[in-house]
Amino acid sequence: MAILDVQNLTKRFGGLVAVNEVSFGVEAGQIFSLIGPNGAGKTTLFNVLTGVYRPEGGRVLYKGKRLSGLPPERIAHRGVARTFQNIRLFGAMTVYENVLVGQHPSIRYNYLDAIFRTFRYFRAEKKARVRAHELLEYLGLNDRAFELARNLPYGAQRRLEIARALALRPSLLLLDEPAAGMNPQETDEVKHLIRRLRDDLHITVVLIEHHMKVVMEISDRVVVLDHGRKIAEGRPADVRKVPAVIEAYLGKGALEMIA
Amino acid sequence: MSDALIELLPSVLLEGLLLGCVYAMIALGYTMVYGVLGLINFAHSEVFMVGAVAGIEVYRYVGPHIDNPYALAVVAMLVAAGVSGGLAVAIERLAYRPLRKRGSTNRLVPLITAIGVSFFLQDFVRLIEGLWHGEFYMNYPADARMEAVHELPLGMTIQTKSIIVIVVTAAMLLGLDHLVRRTRLGKAIRAVAQDLQTASLMGIDPDRIIARTFLIGGALGGVAGVMFGLLYSQINPFVGFVPGVKAFTAAVLGGIGNIYGAMLGGLVLGTVETLGGTYLFFLTEGAIGNEYKDVVAFLILVLLLLFRPQGLLGRTQGDKV
Repeated sequence: MAILDVQNLTKRFGGLVAVNEVSFGVEAGQIFSLIGPNGAGKTTLFNVLTGVYRPEGGRVLYKGKRLSGLPPERIAHRGVARTFQNIRLFGAMTVYENVLVGQHPSIRYNYLDAIFRTFRYFRAEKKARVRAHELLEYLGLNDRAFELARNLPYGAQRRLEIARALALRPSLLLLDEPAAGMNPQETDEVKHLIRRLRDDLHITVVLIEHHMKVVMEISDRVVVLDHGRKIAEGRPADVRKVPAVIEAYLGKGALEMIA
Repeated sequence: MSDALIELLPSVLLEGLLLGCVYAMIALGYTMVYGVLGLINFAHSEVFMVGAVAGIEVYRYVGPHIDNPYALAVVAMLVAAGVSGGLAVAIERLAYRPLRKRGSTNRLVPLITAIGVSFFLQDFVRLIEGLWHGEFYMNYPADARMEAVHELPLGMTIQTKSIIVIVVTAAMLLGLDHLVRRTRLGKAIRAVAQDLQTASLMGIDPDRIIARTFLIGGALGGVAGVMFGLLYSQINPFVGFVPGVKAFTAAVLGGIGNIYGAMLGGLVLGTVETLGGTYLFFLTEGAIGNEYKDVVAFLILVLLLLFRPQGLLGRTQGDKV
């Protein structure tokens, strides 16, 4: 069964149809890529999936239950986490605190526990701290745990966004251009990291990415969007041969030039 | 002449510190709400006033049954914290949240709403107190044990009630610092203040955190109301306005949105105002009296904001978005 089922999803802004009747399904354990030229509606689609926007049409099912229409925090509680195209860390908080914030919904104790410092409170807090350090270790950030997030170098900030998203214990992770602005070596690391997320942590990954090398090498399946519409879907090797895709990326006439 | 001024200085500073405690406690409510919502909650001065009135009611109804004035003051503060905290949450729920949910981006709308709530509460309390007790000018009862004067070094004297005010303020500021820095709720408040949308995507319910912020700010304001009553005795439904404006000034002075700024700004403003009020009187040989102390306070504010628009502890813009 598909873990994520997007059905005829439409999102309009005034007269602009940013996402137009898009449907696709993501199987559990897949690495699934969304590609397309700038302005194709990829990030808008992420924003609809995570509850930032309400869709005007269609629906989103996650593990068979409806996600569309829920507020972002409820969607996060269900196990859908994301990162951002433009890094959106809590810059004035430390690296460690950013990861603790990500664990907010999974810490279980009530206010009485917090006020009276019960056993449950200490156990939950300790677990959260241990897990925060594990996550930072996993992403190679432990030695910078107590620096302010805004002082990290760019690549480390991108990794911290992933660590913070993992703190939610997601089963579905949406990564918005995780390799943007990275050099070839860092891009390679991101590629391996995404594979590890799937293989070690059994997380299903949906990815928006412009680095075609990353997309082609790690994706199990690719959907191509252009002007809000789905123009192709399939395995990476197949999608790259579709004429409409080449045209969307290189402009009309590109096919004739190639031919 | 100048000897007298120097001799007076420690006492004046102490007086300023007390006033500063009240300002700081109120200023925290303004600055915390501004931090999470970007809203100047002008109704906060009435949350403070309601705290003072709730304290009076405790003195009226519980006072005769408790002989210990210190315990009574603490009970009054606890009740005022509860009433004011609850009121602040109710204001958010009934007045601000519906506007926020409509998705209006106009900042003037909630601001005007806040002013409306403020007027409403003033007249509502006047009505209730008028019906209940026949008048709405009230006095905190004086208790000899609270008024008792203690000698301090440097020729200063301090009353028991002033010691209580300072100790309670210090305890609440330390408690708030712990809450904001160390607890889960504090981290969530900071996360919402920095980026509400991202916080919600990390599973934090912003409405819940906003309500908690109003609760905490309101409770601090309520306690400040009782302190104000203990220190200055006279209370009425319109007593919130001036301390409210001053506390808002203190929050801006310290850097709005920054809780340490509000604490510092409150103490600085209280001190400067008291110093200015006292010394202007002496230096002008009575021509300009204590009633000009507000002029001094706001002159300082204007000057500071000319040279440091972000306030004493505020960061320059670009941090928030």
